[in-house]
Amino acid sequence: MLGEFEYVLITAAVGLGEEAYGAAIRSEIETATGRTCSLGALYTTLDRLESKGFVATWMGGATAQRGGRAKRMVRVTPKGVQAATEFYNAVMRVSRGASWAVGE
Amino acid sequence: MSGLGWAVVQGASRFLGRDDREAVLGDVAEACSGFGRAVTDVLDLVIRRQVDLWKSWRPWIAAFALALPCSLLLMGLSLSVSKIVAQIALRWDGAAWWLLLLGPLLLGWSWAGGYVAGSLSKRTLWASAICCLLPCLFCLSRFRGQSVSKYCLLLFLLPAIWGAWQGLRGYRVPRRAAIGMALGITVLAVATSSGGTSLFYCVLIWPAWYVAAAMRRDSQPN
Repeated sequence: MLGEFEYVLITAAVGLGEEAYGAAIRSEIETATGRTCSLGALYTTLDRLESKGFVATWMGGATAQRGGRAKRMVRVTPKGVQAATEFYNAVMRVSRGASWAVGE
Repeated sequence: MSGLGWAVVQGASRFLGRDDREAVLGDVAEACSGFGRAVTDVLDLVIRRQVDLWKSWRPWIAAFALALPCSLLLMGLSLSVSKIVAQIALRWDGAAWWLLLLGPLLLGWSWAGGYVAGSLSKRTLWASAICCLLPCLFCLSRFRGQSVSKYCLLLFLLPAIWGAWQGLRGYRVPRRAAIGMALGITVLAVATSSGGTSLFYCVLIWPAWYVAAAMRRDSQPN
């Protein structure tokens, strides 16, 4: 099963769609969780997810905003979507009956 | 971020691979982070990548089984060769034959050791370099010889750096040349060793045979 940060990363990448790359994913994670996210944690987690086949990454285009440097683009694979769905369902199941759970 | 701050961040990123460096520097530039966060981001990734690299046996072998012992032994050989040269300069005698044996041996051992260190631990070569240079600095500070300069201890460094550079660049040694070099080094080592030095020579021979084995493996069809 995915780890918490792996799930957050995959969910952020899916939300960004075609615009999923390092800085954008980090910004999305920090906005959603309210916690800082280091690029080291982000890229090493991406490597781990890629080795498990949950995401695919490639070097994309450069922009002037980035000082002419390329982005590491991210796409979540169907296997990654399935793993994230399983994680989400597991969290929902285990949260059933918890005082903070909503929609019960 | 100031120009100096950006230079520090770029300097730290030199320890990363090309794609990592490109992506992380781009992300830092895009986020317009301050110096503190930018340098922390880069160093955090550098440390995580280095920790990953050190989970393999390769950097450990290159640094502690190759660079450290070989630099000590090769300094001794460098000194021997330098003393022979100094002796020949004064009087041409039988010592010249020793130079013909020890000179190529020093060259071959140093090159092969550097090559193996460079090819085994490309991204952790800095650690192998430290393990090689620390004994050099220690011996330089303690050297009390009169007949030759203390810098003669470092004679082995030039071929070793040349070998490390070629190993780093992935230079392929022709298979026959690699086997010939390993055989030549072994024969010369046996010819020049005496009882006490045989064990030390074994430490120095294995890199040449490693190169020969690696070239043989590479040339075999899949």
